[in-house]
Amino acid sequence: MPTQTEIYEKVSATLVEALNVDEEDIKPDSTLQGDLGAESIDFLDIVFRLEREFGIKIPRGELFPESIFQGDPDFVQNGRVTEKGLAELRAKMPFADLDQFAADPQVSHISDLFTVEMIARYIQGKLAESGKN
Amino acid sequence: MQLKDQVALITGGSRGIGRGIAEAFAREGARVAIVYKGSREAAEQTVGKIVAAGGAALALQCDVTSPEAAQETVARVRQEWGRLDILVNNAGVIQDGLFIRMEPEAWNTVLQTNLGGVFNFCRAVAYDPFVRQRSGRIINISSVAAEHVNQGQTNYAASKGAINSFTRALAVELASRGITVNAIAPGFIETDMSAAVLNKAGEGLIKKVIPMRRLGKPEDIAAVAVFLASPASAYITGQVITVDGGLSLGAVAE
Repeated sequence: MPTQTEIYEKVSATLVEALNVDEEDIKPDSTLQGDLGAESIDFLDIVFRLEREFGIKIPRGELFPESIFQGDPDFVQNGRVTEKGLAELRAKMPFADLDQFAADPQVSHISDLFTVEMIARYIQGKLAESGKN
Repeated sequence: MQLKDQVALITGGSRGIGRGIAEAFAREGARVAIVYKGSREAAEQTVGKIVAAGGAALALQCDVTSPEAAQETVARVRQEWGRLDILVNNAGVIQDGLFIRMEPEAWNTVLQTNLGGVFNFCRAVAYDPFVRQRSGRIINISSVAAEHVNQGQTNYAASKGAINSFTRALAVELASRGITVNAIAPGFIETDMSAAVLNKAGEGLIKKVIPMRRLGKPEDIAAVAVFLASPASAYITGQVITVDGGLSLGAVAE
C-alpha cells in the first residue's frame, strides 16, 4: 500500500490535471470549489481520474455526495445544519474533517469540507479497505 | 487551412450533406472518418475522392443506434490517428406518414437514429477525449423542420426539435471545458433524402417558398460546419444556425 505522502502526491497530481491548476496552488487545506475553482463537471472528472489512478471503484455519491440532505427539515433549519444533520454528515463522510464546520454549521459552508486533504484521507481509507479483502 | 491536423468523425458521411461536410473538412486539412450504415460503396467513393485530392480519410461501418458500436467506432478512429477533435452528428432518416397511420416502428426508427445516434456518439466522445483534453467541437445536424413543420413528419420534427434542445443542454454542461456544441438547421438541400419531397412539391413551389429561389447544396451546409469546427467560432456554443436561403422567414412569393 502506498504511503500517506505518496497518496497525497498522486491526488495532488490528479487535481493539477483535472482542474488545470498549478501544483503550487494545491495545499492540503485548499477547498476544491473555493480555492481551486472546481465546477460540477470537474467533480465527476476527479472521480473518474482517481478511479483510474488508484485502481479503485468510487460509488456514485460516496466521495462527493450530490445532495446531502435533500432539504430535510430534520437536518437543516434556517440555513444551518442541525445536530442530527451533523451526525448524518459524520456517518456519510467519515473522511471529512467536521470539527471546524460544526462550530458554525452553515449549509453554504458545506463545500468547504471538500479539501485536498479530505480526498487523500478518503483514498487512504478506500485502499485500506480493499487491502483487507 | 482552417482545420489542419485535426481529426473529425462524421456520421452519415457517405452521401448528401455528410459527404459535403467530409470533403470540405478534408480540404481544410482535417483527417476525416466517414461513418456509414449501409452504403459502403458511396462511403468508399467519398474516401477515394478525398485521398486522391491528397487528404486523409477512412470509412467505418456503424449503426448509430447502437451505443456499443458508437464507442467502438470512436475507439477505432483514435487508434488510427491518435486523437479526435470534431464530431459531426449528421446521420438521419425520414419515414414520413400521417400521424393517424404512423406505426410505432416508424416513430422508433426515426427517433432512435436521429436522436439516439446523437446521444450515442456524444456520449462516446464527451468525457474521453473531449473533457479530458479540454477541447472539442460537436456539430449536430438538425433541420428547419424542427420549428417549421410539415405534414407527415411528427416523428422527424420531434427528433430534430429534440436535437436542438439537446444541443443547448449539452453546451451548458461542457462549456467550462472549452467544448462547443452547436447545431445547423438546413432547409431544402439537394440530396437523396430530399429528392422524394422535391419531386412531389415540384420546382415551382420551391421557388415560391425559398426567397433565394434555389435549393441549397451540401456545400452550403458544409461551409457553416467548417466555421463551427474552426477557431473562428470559439465563442459560439449552444446555437442552432439556420441555413435555408430564407425559407423559414415564411414569405411566399406572389
